[in-house]
Amino acid sequence: MSEILSIVDLRVTHHDGTVALRGASLSVGAGQRVGLIGPNGAGKTSLLLAVMGALPFEGRVVADALALGKHTVDEVRSRCGMIFQDAGDQLFMPTLLEDAAFGPLNQGQDPPAAQRTARAALEAVGLGGLGRRSPHHLSAGQMRCAALATVLAMNVKLLLLDEPGANLDARGRARLITLLAQRPEAMLLATHDLDMVRRLCPRTVVLDEGRVAADGPTAQVLDDRALMEAHGLA
Amino acid sequence: MHHSHIDRFAQGDSLLHRLDARAKLLAVLAYTVVLISFDRYAVAAMAPMAVAPLAWLWLSGVPVRFALRRVLLLSPFILTLALASPLYDRSVHAAALGPWQVELTGGWLTAMNVAIKFALGVLALTAMICTTAFSSLLEALDRLKAPRLLVMQLGLLYRYLFELIDRAMRVRRARDFRGGGRAPAGRRLRAVGGIVGSLLAQTLEKSQRVELAMASRGYRGQSHGLRQLRAGWADAALLAAMAGYLLLCRWVMPAMLGGRESA
Repeated sequence: MSEILSIVDLRVTHHDGTVALRGASLSVGAGQRVGLIGPNGAGKTSLLLAVMGALPFEGRVVADALALGKHTVDEVRSRCGMIFQDAGDQLFMPTLLEDAAFGPLNQGQDPPAAQRTARAALEAVGLGGLGRRSPHHLSAGQMRCAALATVLAMNVKLLLLDEPGANLDARGRARLITLLAQRPEAMLLATHDLDMVRRLCPRTVVLDEGRVAADGPTAQVLDDRALMEAHGLA
Repeated sequence: MHHSHIDRFAQGDSLLHRLDARAKLLAVLAYTVVLISFDRYAVAAMAPMAVAPLAWLWLSGVPVRFALRRVLLLSPFILTLALASPLYDRSVHAAALGPWQVELTGGWLTAMNVAIKFALGVLALTAMICTTAFSSLLEALDRLKAPRLLVMQLGLLYRYLFELIDRAMRVRRARDFRGGGRAPAGRRLRAVGGIVGSLLAQTLEKSQRVELAMASRGYRGQSHGLRQLRAGWADAALLAAMAGYLLLCRWVMPAMLGGRESA
């Protein structure tokens, strides 16, 4: 399996001096779904943001054979898409259709092509008829799917999902899991929702205090009671 | 709170709803310019100018009462200004108000003139907003070469204003649930300061997250629109009809009535 993401010795320190990542290393294969779990403050969101080039870091990040750096950040961002914890932050255009077309237009598609791409992405997440809606008028579940559509429209190869199940009811969550399970893109799924990880990800990485504490098959990691307790996950 | 406060009727379906937003924007812009161009003592001469916004509202199925409520809602500030006019312009003018000849001071004529211009201007604007989706208006502004940054800002304002209001209402409710509404004025004021500060901090954090979301989808300071607007013959007809109507109201009719501008 070819590698779509490689992170080596990633270190991130926030402006206030808080150390978020202390040399984390992991990789994700093409089409592979990897769960990223860990207690609050483990560095999960920081890791995703660093991969998107949104945080200054030390170490090496390679996305789709492209090393992340000052001059490659735009290209990396067109290959990796991040779904934020608060989907409302991600939907900033007046209508859903315009929001889904935002990325394709910035990638250089002409308006008719961008419109087709946006419509297809909205269809793919089951929001085909809601293109003219304002994001403010969507339910939490629809917002999450819409945020996913905005990223899928950019034809990315890797999805970085930050707590995708947060604030969703059981139906919305089940729908999202079904939707994600059908996607061919590789995924790095940062969450506290262990059931979602079990259902979606064959492999799981445990992050704690900015380091990778465990990396292995999901069932093996989640069933290791001692490991889970040691890292505040059980 | 929902966007229905802004575009409650804009999702309707009438001939005017289907027209290109650029045509409607230009028509209302021309209407406003001509309205403002009336002499400051003109009152009755502006009466025909009421026909267009009222007809627009009627044809599009937007209740006139709704539009008039908008006018009333926005009127206190402008009426205060208008009612100050009689204080400084006491020159006497003969005015024809319909069949009646009256003598009024220039100040009162100006006050009526300002009030009418304001009411008709807001009516026309409301008629346009009620028949045009906000996203189409933004595209129209963009295609008519309004500054892109301004259009983008308006889009973000439309997108997030109601979220901010909702958030403020939730914080206020939280304050009230803990007896904030019954607190002494000083403590209430301090709480308001806290709420405003917290909203500002949250807004700044949110704007950073939105900026990141935009950057991660390729935004580099250059906005690109979908270009969904399509102009047709009906749009040209609207502009032509508006031009003819304005010509009639502003120049032909006053000339036919003896060239008297005022009243």
